[in-house]
Amino acid sequence: MDSLPYIAVLIAYGLVGAAHLLPGIVGERLKSRVRPIALTGVFLHAAALFLGVATIGGGTGFREALSALALGIMGAYVAAGRGRLSALGLLLAPLATVLLGIALVVPRHQVAALEHTPGVLPWLPIHLALVFFGLACFALSFALGALYLLVRRELKAKRFDRLGRLPSLEVLDSMQFRATLFGFVAMTLGIGVGGGIAAASLDVPWAWDPKVGFTALLWAWYGLALQLRIVAGWRGKWSALFAIVGFAAAMFSLVGFNFFFTGWHGYAG
Amino acid sequence: MPAERRLIAVGLSHLTAPVEVRERLAVDPAGVRRTLNNLVSTGVSTEALLISTCNRVELYTVPGRGGEVGVAEFLASFRGPKGEALDNYLYWHRGRDAVHHLFRVSSALDSMVLGEPQILGQVKSAVRQAQEVNALGRVLNRLAQRSLAVGKRVRTETALGQHRVGIGNAGVDLATQIFGDLGGRRAMLLGVGEMGRQVANALQSAGLRELVVCNRTLERAQELAEAQGGTAIEWSRMADYLGRVDIVIAATGAAEPVLVAEDVRRALKARSYRPLLLVDLSVPRNIDPGVDDLEDAYLFNVDDLRSVQSRGMALRQDAALDARKLVSTEADRFMTSLAELDVAARIGGVVRHAEVLRIAEMARSQRLVSSLDGSQQEALDQMTRALVKKVLHNPLQNLRRAAREGDSERVEAILNAMGVQDEDA
Repeated sequence: MDSLPYIAVLIAYGLVGAAHLLPGIVGERLKSRVRPIALTGVFLHAAALFLGVATIGGGTGFREALSALALGIMGAYVAAGRGRLSALGLLLAPLATVLLGIALVVPRHQVAALEHTPGVLPWLPIHLALVFFGLACFALSFALGALYLLVRRELKAKRFDRLGRLPSLEVLDSMQFRATLFGFVAMTLGIGVGGGIAAASLDVPWAWDPKVGFTALLWAWYGLALQLRIVAGWRGKWSALFAIVGFAAAMFSLVGFNFFFTGWHGYAG
Repeated sequence: MPAERRLIAVGLSHLTAPVEVRERLAVDPAGVRRTLNNLVSTGVSTEALLISTCNRVELYTVPGRGGEVGVAEFLASFRGPKGEALDNYLYWHRGRDAVHHLFRVSSALDSMVLGEPQILGQVKSAVRQAQEVNALGRVLNRLAQRSLAVGKRVRTETALGQHRVGIGNAGVDLATQIFGDLGGRRAMLLGVGEMGRQVANALQSAGLRELVVCNRTLERAQELAEAQGGTAIEWSRMADYLGRVDIVIAATGAAEPVLVAEDVRRALKARSYRPLLLVDLSVPRNIDPGVDDLEDAYLFNVDDLRSVQSRGMALRQDAALDARKLVSTEADRFMTSLAELDVAARIGGVVRHAEVLRIAEMARSQRLVSSLDGSQQEALDQMTRALVKKVLHNPLQNLRRAAREGDSERVEAILNAMGVQDEDA
């Protein structure tokens, strides 16, 4: 992973984050340039990640995993964050910046083992793409949920300073539902493909791995959130809380587990 | 003096004249055309534009031979309600100030309600009326088009028009913060109070799908429903409808709450906990304040709406700062472009004049010229052309530069030195 383009990407994401967090100081100066900066960052990031992974030969380590998630999150911001929804940048841009920042400082490790099994290699990128797309959807769902709670709190407290500048409750709620749904579907498929890879490449049909277990829990959590929403009308605040807790757990799984546990997915080696 | 500096804006507005005076002077479109015809045909004006709304009557004109005095004499025939002269109400703007004033007017910076959206349309119709009687010439035509463009720029590039004002629009602001687009939404109006109507009206303008009117006396509900384009229902059916609407506006004269938390709780369940907006405009309040403690109910009272309203006004004041800057820059730009245009026209005159002199000189040397053969004649012709061009080159360059820099004194000095008279004078 050649660091130079990544530093440029990091600066771009940092600027986008700063523009949202400090509208008076940074946002005022950048104005309409925020979106072009974010777009440039995303394209550069995608190119660097693709080239990096391609030249290493399918090698994917913890760095790449964090980097891919950061890319997914900024991709979600660029795709969804227009007009009033650009407030999503308040959460997504700093999150992507921090993730990419961690990616740049952690030591480099390889996930071994899997590349040696013939026939598995083409499925690995599909597994990873689905999982990271799913995670990016959950990140978007988390940011939408957090904004929902913010708008709700402002309205209930009768504070009108930000009226008309933040997205509406119903837009946040319906988008949050869709993001969760897409994330859940992608995760389901990603886990399915992962299971297939495991079955094909490991000697034992099922190897317990803390991350697999945790992911199963997470999957069930989002499944429950969707179920409650559709069947029992747990929309709005509840749906937002589910998304926030779910994503916080996912971040813990990705960052925390990798430092403390080992296993097939572990990078702690 | 170039025409753009003879331009005058004279008029009165809500800032200088009371309504009794304004209403006497306001004219309908036919009156506008008649007045403009009158001004141009009598030679008081060479160009004229008249804007007449309920808040202002303004004449923009390039005076004719009689100059500003002629315009003043024309205006002297108009009198106030007690037969008094209008001098005390009138303001006069000249040159750039007149341009600046029109730009301020079309940007709604001079309006009674800052940033109101109607004025641009009113200026547009005034321009059309003036065009219909051919009262717009070289200066006012450009000025009129530019002022419409400036008004549009202010609307799109500043936040002046974005923040809504008025109690009805405060309700719309709250509704859009909750629902986004109001296209598929239904509202129920309880009671027929004035403020309730205003909010309902504004919601309908914002695209509300259906309005249900509910009043203790059905007839009054029916009257209002008919006037507003809604459906009237009996008071007893209010609870049924509560689960079907997204917005409830209460404006009855009741002394007791007409909606309590239990009603709203049931309604929320019926709409599977989609948010419900309740606006209580009545004093004493018609909706139990406890309703706001319910998870998905958002209750706002009349004070809340007032604070939304005053925030909108404050934001407009902020946006007006940007708008003023923009308008001022545009006025400068317009003056420069007009001066350049003016100079371009006069440079054309200089060049034509030189050509006339050249041809006359060639004619004086007729005997010499005719003794030459064809190719020699052509060479001589080209040589004299080149000579004239070379001699004029530097002065014209300086003239263009002076015009670009907006230095009209230098423009006049150069033109005088070249012996060119002002074509308009």
